[in-house]
Amino acid sequence: MKWSSNKSWLLFLPAVLFLILPLYGLAAAISQSFQQQGEWTLSAYQQLFQSDRFLSAVGFSLEVAFLSSLLSLLIGLLFTRSFYPYLASHTPRLIVWMPMLFPHFVWGYMVILLLSETGVLAQVFTLLGGDDFPTLTQDSRGIGIILTYVWKEVPFVILMLLPVYATIKPEYYDLVKTLGGGAWSQFKQVEWPHLLPVMIETFLIVFAFTISAYEVPALLGTTFPEMLSVLSYNWFYGSSWDDRSLAFAAMVLLSLFILILTFIGYIYMNKKRFRMMKGKS
Amino acid sequence: MKKWISLSIFLAALLLTACSNSETGQEFTNITNQDWEEIEASAEGSTVRLFMWGGDEGINQYIDEWVTPQLEDTYGVSLERVPMDTGEILQKLQTEKQAGKQDGTIDIVWINAENFKNAKENDLLAGSFVDVLPNFNEYYDTEDPAFQTDFGTAVEGMEAPWGKVQFVFHYDSEKIETPPASFEELKTWVEENPGRFTYPNAEDFTGNAFLRHVLYANAEQPSDIYEQPLDEEQISEAAEGTWTYLNDIKPNLWRSGSHYPNSLTELDRLYSQGEVWMTMGYNEARAESLIEEGVFPESTESFVMEPGSIGNTHFLSIPFNSTNPEGALAAINFMLSPEAQLEKLKPDYWGENTPISIDRLPEEMKQKFQSVDRGESVLSQSELEESFLPESEAAYVEWMEEQWFNEVVQQ
Repeated sequence: MKWSSNKSWLLFLPAVLFLILPLYGLAAAISQSFQQQGEWTLSAYQQLFQSDRFLSAVGFSLEVAFLSSLLSLLIGLLFTRSFYPYLASHTPRLIVWMPMLFPHFVWGYMVILLLSETGVLAQVFTLLGGDDFPTLTQDSRGIGIILTYVWKEVPFVILMLLPVYATIKPEYYDLVKTLGGGAWSQFKQVEWPHLLPVMIETFLIVFAFTISAYEVPALLGTTFPEMLSVLSYNWFYGSSWDDRSLAFAAMVLLSLFILILTFIGYIYMNKKRFRMMKGKS
Repeated sequence: MKKWISLSIFLAALLLTACSNSETGQEFTNITNQDWEEIEASAEGSTVRLFMWGGDEGINQYIDEWVTPQLEDTYGVSLERVPMDTGEILQKLQTEKQAGKQDGTIDIVWINAENFKNAKENDLLAGSFVDVLPNFNEYYDTEDPAFQTDFGTAVEGMEAPWGKVQFVFHYDSEKIETPPASFEELKTWVEENPGRFTYPNAEDFTGNAFLRHVLYANAEQPSDIYEQPLDEEQISEAAEGTWTYLNDIKPNLWRSGSHYPNSLTELDRLYSQGEVWMTMGYNEARAESLIEEGVFPESTESFVMEPGSIGNTHFLSIPFNSTNPEGALAAINFMLSPEAQLEKLKPDYWGENTPISIDRLPEEMKQKFQSVDRGESVLSQSELEESFLPESEAAYVEWMEEQWFNEVVQQ
């Protein structure tokens, strides 16, 4: 008995070791967000909520991250659903996953090369006689950022959803069909219950990433409005070191927000699982 | 459970590895008190790591292809260049300071302006050292105000002048016949050529310098700004004029001013693609290498406007936790030498101006300096000197970042 408890202990160890650095970082960030010139104060948080620049960055970040995550999920779902029989073989699957091999900033540069006012698409557009190519990158609506993220995250969504489709037994479909259900009922009754937990999980991962990552909005964002990550970076590396506590406070709030979202998702999914275990639905 | 507790204590102890408060300052003074021969002797055979902004190929090549082999030959010091943004270098030092790490990885840092101010205020530098450098004492005007203060911060011997640059605008002489001669004329030009001008945003080094020029131009005289510490009330009139000017030109800027380039590289790209017809930069000779590489059109020339163009000096310094201060001193002394400065002035690599006093050089060297052809696109020395304006206090940089955002971008 003793031996086995020791062993489970050891299994826990890698996770602890792995988490020590990020947790230490988080603790340091929290403590620095409450300090200004070596004194403990709430002023960084007060300044944040009085800053129009911060509030508009929050709004813009939420909008961009939400749209990117939602679009990625929808397109990924449609794609997986339509093509999963083909995706079972290696080559098409590898092609679909290709964008995942590139770092985000490489993909960002590619989007600039393709879609900026002097990019490939604009040149083709002018050749075909069009004028006034729309501003698709570094625009105030975040179109360039959203495009880059969607393009980059759809393969990830497919990666997450494929195994789900692979494990759905064909008998379920047959069952729905024999009971007279159409395509919608097949999706609703067979796929959706399997998909939902993975969809929530994937949404959380993509959302947490897109709302806090720096390089894509730095490349494809405009001067105003800016994403939270860009604003925090500017505060942190700006010429005044007094603004650093603002950067920490903004990031702490963001982490808190993501934690709460994750927690809600976790509770919701656990409830579902619990109900499933009890056999009710 | 017991094990769990002891392990967490052990890990916590690892993280908080004692912040030993050793006397860096004292140690460094002991080193600089030695004779120069002793410093050179202990530098020999060592490795010096130079951390510097790496965004310019000409500058990188100058270090890698000229300075490094020469330094190896003369002093037996091997130089390693590590490219990193100056802000990040300081952040690294700050983190090391907080962690009590006395054996750093940085021996020399390239620095000036608000970065120097931050580094000095946070005790990230080793201390005063320029007095021990033979080349500095012999060939430089040690009393020059440009070496005494750096953007309003007293230098106190903690950094050695490595180069000086002046802000210029670039234009394509095939598209523009006569460039504007003042900020008023620039405004008219922008109105007549909508969409052909923009400037990098205020967070960018170059963009911020452009904005400070507008502030100088809107003051009664530029010295009202550069001779005064930042006092928002005192400069309120000049500030008002600046915002009015910037908001007036905004609708006629590239993309109607809805997006400002995030960096100088972005502006340069727009210029090289012919989207905008002017670019700018804090180095009067920087167009030369860009023309050579084919980035800028060959017809690129430079100009300065009334009331003048801001210039500054940039420096080399030694961080508080350098493990090889002797090597750093030897390397800095070499980089200040007439030979190294002459090579830096030639347009082959960098083409940057020198802070050295040419009058103090031996006759032969003097002639070499005077015969350097800096290139077609570079303004004459007299023109540059005539328009020279000193930098203001570092606080203006920060003030401009914030105010520009409120007064111009969000309007």
